Amino acid sequence: MGTFWRGILKGALGPRDNDSRFLLDVHSRDLPGETTMARYRDDDEVDLVIVGAGAGGSVLAQRLARHGWRVVIIEAGPFWHPDEDWVSDEAGSHPLYWTQKRIISGADPIELGKNNSGRGVGGSMVHYAGYTPRFHPSDLSTYTDDGVGADWPICYEDLRPHYEQVEAELPVAGQDWPWGYPHRYPFSPHPVSGAAEKLREGALRCGIEMRVGPVGIVNGTFGNRPHCIYRGYCLQGCKVNAKASPYVTHLPDALAHGVEVRANCMALRVEIRQDSGRARGVVYATESGGAHRLQRARYVAIAGYSVETPRLLLASVSRRFPSGLCNNVDQVGRYVMVQGATQTAGRWPFELRMYKAPPPEISSEQFYETDPARGFARGFSIQTVSPLPIGWAEHVLADGHWGWALREYMRDYNHWATIGVLNELLPHPDNRITLADETDPYGQPIARMDYTLGDNDRANMAYSTKVITDILHAADAQDVLTIQRFAHLIGGARMGSFPEHSVVDANQRAWAVPNLFIADGSVCPTQGSANPALTIMALASRLAQRMASGAAMDDDPGARTGRTRSRAGNRR
Amino acid sequence: MPDLTSADHLPKRRPGGAALHPSWLPRQRRGTTPQMIGRYPDFNVLDAVDTWDEATKKVVLARLEPPGPLRFFTSDEEPVLRALCDTVLAQDREPRVPVAEMVDGKLADGLLDGYQYADMPDDRDTWRLVLRGLDHTATLGYQTGFAGCAEAQREAIVSEFAQGRLVGGAWDELNVAHAWSVVIRMMLAAFYSHPWAWNEIGFGGPAYPRGFMRLGGPGADGPAVREPFEQPGATDEDPVQVVDAWER
Repeated sequence: MGTFWRGILKGALGPRDNDSRFLLDVHSRDLPGETTMARYRDDDEVDLVIVGAGAGGSVLAQRLARHGWRVVIIEAGPFWHPDEDWVSDEAGSHPLYWTQKRIISGADPIELGKNNSGRGVGGSMVHYAGYTPRFHPSDLSTYTDDGVGADWPICYEDLRPHYEQVEAELPVAGQDWPWGYPHRYPFSPHPVSGAAEKLREGALRCGIEMRVGPVGIVNGTFGNRPHCIYRGYCLQGCKVNAKASPYVTHLPDALAHGVEVRANCMALRVEIRQDSGRARGVVYATESGGAHRLQRARYVAIAGYSVETPRLLLASVSRRFPSGLCNNVDQVGRYVMVQGATQTAGRWPFELRMYKAPPPEISSEQFYETDPARGFARGFSIQTVSPLPIGWAEHVLADGHWGWALREYMRDYNHWATIGVLNELLPHPDNRITLADETDPYGQPIARMDYTLGDNDRANMAYSTKVITDILHAADAQDVLTIQRFAHLIGGARMGSFPEHSVVDANQRAWAVPNLFIADGSVCPTQGSANPALTIMALASRLAQRMASGAAMDDDPGARTGRTRSRAGNRR
Repeated sequence: MPDLTSADHLPKRRPGGAALHPSWLPRQRRGTTPQMIGRYPDFNVLDAVDTWDEATKKVVLARLEPPGPLRFFTSDEEPVLRALCDTVLAQDREPRVPVAEMVDGKLADGLLDGYQYADMPDDRDTWRLVLRGLDHTATLGYQTGFAGCAEAQREAIVSEFAQGRLVGGAWDELNVAHAWSVVIRMMLAAFYSHPWAWNEIGFGGPAYPRGFMRLGGPGADGPAVREPFEQPGATDEDPVQVVDAWER
């Protein structure tokens, strides 16, 4: 297709095989199908039971339902009614987060909760900012290339068609993308706010190229989804239906094709037949202290994300798996990762009012790849962000201000703009999820997350902080405030070519249980410097395609080990 | 009178990093701000309440209800809690955002943040220990409870707390740096969720379903373009003497 036609058709072409955008109601934000969806009995052996209705579980369900599979999703959180449940307010959005207790430890404990964990139908994409970059091809071969991290058992070409499909479904808006595997986006870039424009000016003066997007936010209309209204509350759940989350992109179509979402149901363990070692289904409770129920299924997929997926596996103890399901080689919960997400803010003489427009605006992947001159392996991306008042207060506090000084900086809010990084922090076996001694109201052991940075991670974070601070100074910022923080979760049940070093194979099928799959970000062996949502969806899309064709159940050792031959095609 | 374009009113740009006395700020003319100071004297976020959706209106306006009695903290703990909230948020006079009651409500309802440091007790126990610790430190240093200390004394104690340097008594049951993070996070979230604080900082507040049209991007309007309902920032138009060196 030539540039002319591509321009004409930009924003006009929708995805095939997903009618979610037409199924939504223009007058209501409720998920259509909640009252009319299929209902399955616990003892009815469905084709697939999925734990978690987030980015991974929802895409997997939608795809397989289109292939006629009978699917049940067990979701711990509520079925949202966004018109009533979601608010245009920071503090009032507390119910969107996974706020059940978890223990954090290690030398660099990671704050969970609102920072990275969602609960409810739609998962944490309900409150993610909206950035949807792809991973780079190099992310899948960091061990071969740089001697750090791990190689994936699949290559970029395995993911690329699914990236394209998911980008069309969200749909992603942004400028043509020059980094990684160069590509275009189905929707045009959004307008740039004054705050982001100031940051772009600084970047350009530093010789850093920035591009608008990529964000999963409708620019234009998309079926019955309206244009973004630029109110700036992406992290509080989009009441407009402009920002993509499975709630609007995949679950409407899934429910229309026979998927049942069983909300407010806490999965407690995967039940294993002790004779054959196959999964029988998932045991869950509808309320704390309530009776345990078993949803039987031919296949089980876990998509609870990097804390809850390992937690569920570790809690599924049986005679065959005395230290947790799939954990006889002590790999479950290991290599859990976060990204360094330092943010630094600059002050200008005029009011920028950064709360207007979506927090995700423009980004750069110029520092994404390894540059030996920088003195550390791998890299980081740069993205504009824009905290609302409570987020801004945490930012000011992190720079060491409280009391009168904090109030002074807070009053100056409208003069500031904020830019952040995402550092690729490397996987380490001791950064892991385990079970704590304490139990939750369901009687389930709670998760403990240990996290400690490595030397490469620290060098990366220090370098990137200097780069974004330089951007602010180049744009003539009058004052600078910095917060060091972390974002996102990934890993914890990684895929690999060898059962001794991973939990699932190249098809995301558990090495230890023949009919168990993991369908979320916990399978990623490395994380790049890209926000993980799009990749989690693309992986689920690929998994669904392979489950539907039967390729994912292939017992051939070569198929399980994955593709290693096409290394050359893995690079660009 | 600080010039807002110069940024010389910001603590890091000032000698010693100390904040200016707020006497340079205009008195609020419209609506309410904490202590009736702020940078947007003619802005009241509540003027836009008819543009908010019902769900948001309900949640935000509930914060303006008169605060009820404490449910979580005891009457012994109450003065220390109030003194801590006032010092950390520099609320030295009425009208105050009722931070103590907001924190108390969250703890009473068990609305916690979803994580607990391994070397720390439950957040609810942390709060009680912190209040005990503050009294311990105040008694050692100033022979009176934390609530009885002068403002400068409380600030000195909180400064040590913020740097994780308090020891003895209840502090030995806590990782003090983590305890600071737990309590201040909750106080800040309470204060800056209150519409009065939004008035003070000129934040537009809830924006659904109205949204924004003028984002201030490149083009003729420039970065400083405003929506018709946004008020520009101002310094004091009825100047009083600015207390530059803050002597107490």
